[in-house]
Amino acid sequence: MKILIIEDEKELARDIKSFLASEDYLCESANNYADAIEKIHLHDYDCILLDLMLPGGDGIDILKEIKSHHKQDGVIIISAKDSIEDKVLGLKIGADDYLAKPFHQSELAARIHSVIRRKQFDSTNTIEQDEIRIDTLSKTVTVNDQQVILTKKEFDLLVFFVGNKNRVLSKEALAEHLSGDIADMFDNHDFVYAHIKNLKRKLKDAGCANYLTTVYGSGYKWKI
Amino acid sequence: MSKLLNKQLKTLSIFALIILMCSIPVYYFVIETIWLGELDDHNALISQSIEERFSNSEVNDEELENVLSFWDALQAGTQLEPLKNGIFKADSIYEVEREDIWGDGEMERFRVLQSTIKINDKNYLLTVETNVEEASETIFIISIITVVFVLLMIIGFILINRKISAKIWGPFQSTLEKLKKFQLADESALSFEPTQIIEFAELNAELELLIKNNIAAYQKQKRFVENASHELQTPIAVLKSKLDLLLQSKDLSEEQSKIVSAIALPLSRISRLNKNLLILAKIENHQYKEEEELNLNDLLSENMEMLDDYIQSKGLNFTIVSSEQINLHSNKFLLETLLNNLLTNAIKNSAQNETVRIELIENSLIISNAGTQTLDQKKIFERFSNVSNESGNSGLGLSIIKEICSYNNWSISYEFEKNQHIFKVNF
Repeated sequence: MKILIIEDEKELARDIKSFLASEDYLCESANNYADAIEKIHLHDYDCILLDLMLPGGDGIDILKEIKSHHKQDGVIIISAKDSIEDKVLGLKIGADDYLAKPFHQSELAARIHSVIRRKQFDSTNTIEQDEIRIDTLSKTVTVNDQQVILTKKEFDLLVFFVGNKNRVLSKEALAEHLSGDIADMFDNHDFVYAHIKNLKRKLKDAGCANYLTTVYGSGYKWKI
Repeated sequence: MSKLLNKQLKTLSIFALIILMCSIPVYYFVIETIWLGELDDHNALISQSIEERFSNSEVNDEELENVLSFWDALQAGTQLEPLKNGIFKADSIYEVEREDIWGDGEMERFRVLQSTIKINDKNYLLTVETNVEEASETIFIISIITVVFVLLMIIGFILINRKISAKIWGPFQSTLEKLKKFQLADESALSFEPTQIIEFAELNAELELLIKNNIAAYQKQKRFVENASHELQTPIAVLKSKLDLLLQSKDLSEEQSKIVSAIALPLSRISRLNKNLLILAKIENHQYKEEEELNLNDLLSENMEMLDDYIQSKGLNFTIVSSEQINLHSNKFLLETLLNNLLTNAIKNSAQNETVRIELIENSLIISNAGTQTLDQKKIFERFSNVSNESGNSGLGLSIIKEICSYNNWSISYEFEKNQHIFKVNF
């Protein structure tokens, strides 16, 4: 899997690279407009992370360029602009997702997963891991071929965890994933604990191994 | 307070009145002096011509007796009589007041010249009198004329004043009207009507410059907040991603993990503060232009759903009373932010297991939650007026509510009644 990170803030590009390093991704980065244009013409990527404010040009133009060549690359806009107009415009031109800065790396990882999953032609929209099978289209989960009934939030959490396996996820990152921008308004995210407790219990009841562990002092981890 | 022109008019009129009143005695004395001088000359001429005629006619004493006997009848206004004792008397000028011989019994003033003339070597006393207008009559006429002129002048002033007011002050009035309507937030520079009056032209030029500079300063300040927030976003993003990475390190002790989490909390507060500042700056910069038809009831339930986790975890009970559908034409993001901030405010400031009441009636939204004491009504919507570290308020939530309301011409009010904080938005 190839990922292109178009981001002028080198630190951020480096962080994204090292966060995704544990997965089977090949990350390249471009930190200015010309570089980015050159790279998208030379290669095909499974997913392109696109910052809108770049030295030398506007990220929106890069997006137009990608789309005008009918490339199949998935595009996620990562922007500090966080304006509705940019979001609407970006999605209208053909971006697959939009993530406003600052974001949690785990959230970005989950979005990349989701975009790549949707782009794969042979995909049946299922995620499989040992005894667990997740259908992201019908939003159903089976453990050992037996269906587990989860609430929407529990389902979202499970997909999020599986997409970020072996990573420590903070309560804030989980809350932000579940509530989006609203999580930003609160300091207390204790509700996450209730959802995780329920998810854990339901998986355990279905005979699933205990992948979901608590990391004391920092958060939770899907450990395999 | 009175109008500048009226004040001028009043002062000028009073001044004109005083001057013209002062002129009455002056006129009188001048006229009197000239008149008397002329009359004295006239009397002297008559007396001289009588004397000359006598000396030229060479009358004898008998004829002279005859002339003198009916002199008074022939020469009205003069008297000629032999000088008593025959002693020469110096000329004298005086005034007498007596009844006019031909008149209707009124008292008249006369200017009299008594001189001694010599006829046939005998001294005679010649008295010449001329009627003079009485002082009171002169003063009366002068006064009447003066009053008439004063009135004419004042009427003239008023008329001229009106004309000036309409014509010369016109540009000033229009400048004033424009200034009254001017709002810094509109950011449209003013241009004033051209005027031929130097003072007004200077005033307009200075005002235009002042307003232009003010708008520039205002824009600069607004842009500054927006730019500063934008610039802050990247370092915040880097910090956040570094913390995410740090959490992943294998050899992180529990103690260290706790420190990382403890950094995450203030960082998310900075991020929240920054986002709110940006929203405020964008509202002020009119960047939420797109408007659409929105149903408040739907948006409210969507928002409640999103906040459900936070409501549940506090065990809050939300009661919704909605007696009507409220449709609004507004920017979606702003309306959502408004609802969000109001609801978040109620959630954050409610104790566990309390009830929050939401009413949608009479085109207004009322949110009330229990509280122990009233908040400062004057300051509540001011920025950073109610920052508290415990609740994690950014101190901007209510200011944003206020800004969104004024942006949309809605009104927001806060009351504390029966231990309930009540926020009411009138759409």
